[in-house]
Amino acid sequence: MITKRTLCAAAVATLASLTLSTAALAQKAKAESKEDIVLGGSIPMTGVFAFAGIGVDQGIKDYLTILNEKGGIKGRKVRYVPEDTAYKVDQSMAAFKKITSQNKVNLYYGDSTGFARTVNPELERAQSMLMTGASFAKELSDEKKYPLQFMVGPNYSEMVGILLQYIAKTKPGAKIALVYSDTEFGRDPVDAARADAQRLGLSIATEIVTPPASVDVSAEVIKLRRADPDYTIFHGYVSAPIPEFINQAKALNLKTAFMGTFWSMDNSTVMRMGPNVDGFLGVMPYRYYYDTEGKAPMLERIRKMRPEYQSTAYTQGFLSAMLLTEAARRTLEAGNELNGKNMKVALSSIRDFDTGGLIGVPLSIKGNSIPIGRIYRADFKQQKMLPASDWINLQK
Amino acid sequence: MRIGSAKETYAADTALFDSTTQRAWTAIFAVALVAFPFVVDDYWLYLACLVAINVASTAGLNVLTGYTGLVSMGQAAFMGLGGYTVAILQIRFGSPMLLNLLAGGVVAMLAGLVVGLPSLRVKGLYLAIATIAAGVLAHFIFSHYTSLTGGTSGLTLPPAQIFGLELDDSFKLYWVIVPITALMLLGVANLFRTRIGRAFIAIRDRDISAEVLGIPLLPYKLLSFAISSFYAGVAGGMFAYFFRAVTPESFPLLMSIFFLASVIVGGMGSVLGSILGAVFMTLVPEVLKLIVGWLPLGDNAMLVLSPVRTIVFGLMIVLFLIFEPHGLAEVWRRVRRFFHLWPFKT
Repeated sequence: MITKRTLCAAAVATLASLTLSTAALAQKAKAESKEDIVLGGSIPMTGVFAFAGIGVDQGIKDYLTILNEKGGIKGRKVRYVPEDTAYKVDQSMAAFKKITSQNKVNLYYGDSTGFARTVNPELERAQSMLMTGASFAKELSDEKKYPLQFMVGPNYSEMVGILLQYIAKTKPGAKIALVYSDTEFGRDPVDAARADAQRLGLSIATEIVTPPASVDVSAEVIKLRRADPDYTIFHGYVSAPIPEFINQAKALNLKTAFMGTFWSMDNSTVMRMGPNVDGFLGVMPYRYYYDTEGKAPMLERIRKMRPEYQSTAYTQGFLSAMLLTEAARRTLEAGNELNGKNMKVALSSIRDFDTGGLIGVPLSIKGNSIPIGRIYRADFKQQKMLPASDWINLQK
Repeated sequence: MRIGSAKETYAADTALFDSTTQRAWTAIFAVALVAFPFVVDDYWLYLACLVAINVASTAGLNVLTGYTGLVSMGQAAFMGLGGYTVAILQIRFGSPMLLNLLAGGVVAMLAGLVVGLPSLRVKGLYLAIATIAAGVLAHFIFSHYTSLTGGTSGLTLPPAQIFGLELDDSFKLYWVIVPITALMLLGVANLFRTRIGRAFIAIRDRDISAEVLGIPLLPYKLLSFAISSFYAGVAGGMFAYFFRAVTPESFPLLMSIFFLASVIVGGMGSVLGSILGAVFMTLVPEVLKLIVGWLPLGDNAMLVLSPVRTIVFGLMIVLFLIFEPHGLAEVWRRVRRFFHLWPFKT
């Protein structure tokens, strides 16, 4: 007779054998891929930043698929080991510890400024890794403080700098309003924006600070109307309260042009803001998925691999994997040991690098950021972000 | 009660460890804690330190919420005060680690005394709101008192030093964080063998009756706030040394909710509950990740299962509240009772 006890014992035995066999398989796979180069990732697949994390994850995977199909780096495959972080620093650190304890990691992708800051002493202690991530905080541009990190694009101050340069060229002497969230993310470019505006002969008409993702912005819109700026730059938000600002400003017939920075510039994010978003401007360091102008073989390859629209976070992940592995490739080709310092030197040797059209101009890396971007304008009818300027390179 | 361990004296009844078996298990656990860093990798050491920090803070909140019956949503803010105090002292003066941790606790304790003042007039949800306000105020100070706190970018600490040894990894920090937490737990356990602890419990059970019995409410409620926030401050200090960075966003309201959930899931008014609750809340997401990692589901497993994992975690908390409202400590007690009474049926 089958008793409860027999059933429980059978279940425990099955579970134990399953665990042991999968552990054995994992061990075998680990042994087989001894020479793999490992790209670890603290990726926010859940939590408030999951919208970007999922794209980043797919982007990294796709680039490594392409790379490994071509034989990897000097015959070594690149293996991607991600862990979900829920966009929490303690969980990101746990993921980092777990991945680096179980693998010999050389390349890493981090999910936030907080993580980049927290993991920095660990990177310096290990000296074996090069890291990039989702943060474009100005602080990370400091090569002395963050010698083993870099960002795949301009930092937030440079993003606003690109917007201001566009404004100065389009409407010299224009009045600007800065609207930013009361967070580290939101406040990051403010000082630099003030200095840049002064240098470019622009005036800051008003600065409005809101809670992140606030809903009621009536008082702020009235403040904006009083200041009557030509351009209003949003930073430190993904979406809310940008649509609310735009809708209320439209109702009040404000003539100001609204602008955003990278994390509020994904095509689907902008189009979800509704018809009033038509004409919304912003800075984007990468070409959009559907861009067909110029020669962009990598974009074509992406479109072939994934026929549906891929977010700008996807492109960021894709390009991160590209630059991390390029640094590893250059290090190995120079006959150097694959460590953080050598890879950073190799990364800094990149000149006029062709990203396969992901960035519209060849890029050269000097320092921890790549201050290149372009202004795009929302066309709600076409449901697309369309180029509004040429590529702007702050290095020049 | 364990079979054959009848208490013959009052001292035996209030003893921390009531039997040789219990003392033996405690000794085994202590030996396991000492051996632990030598047998596990960096990942488990990291988690052990994180759990210890969370246990310290949860134990503090349990004094206030579990034992005294005062709901607080300001635990993260008090941790923040401790963390910032430690960071500032370490960066500006390079003072010794243990002194900094003590200072962190004292600063948080003073803030706790102020925040506790409304507790004589308001209780329950109203007090929770008042403590949330304290959290908002602390966040504002962390973000805007830039010359002291580094503003929104926060502060980055050099590693702590003890006798010239830099505590720059989880292995070294383990030997400071875990003993401090153990000491703090011992403190809480002993507190409830004293008049003060029993006064807290009396206030929790019926504050008016407690006052009639001669327990002055304000000093005792304030004392409870002070002890709780002292624990949070020290935990925040350890947090600062552990992560080597503090920013206003390191101590969000969600963190206070995390500790409140730890107290409830673990068991209110129980030292063991503080430990089990903090362990559960910190480790279950990681264990779920491990289980998902073992499943042979291919490359996209993380994409598909990450949200499922979050739902399972949430569901586990809800199920605990429904089926075991007295928390994990009660489950633990039931298991113990089974062995104590064996071979008789419970």
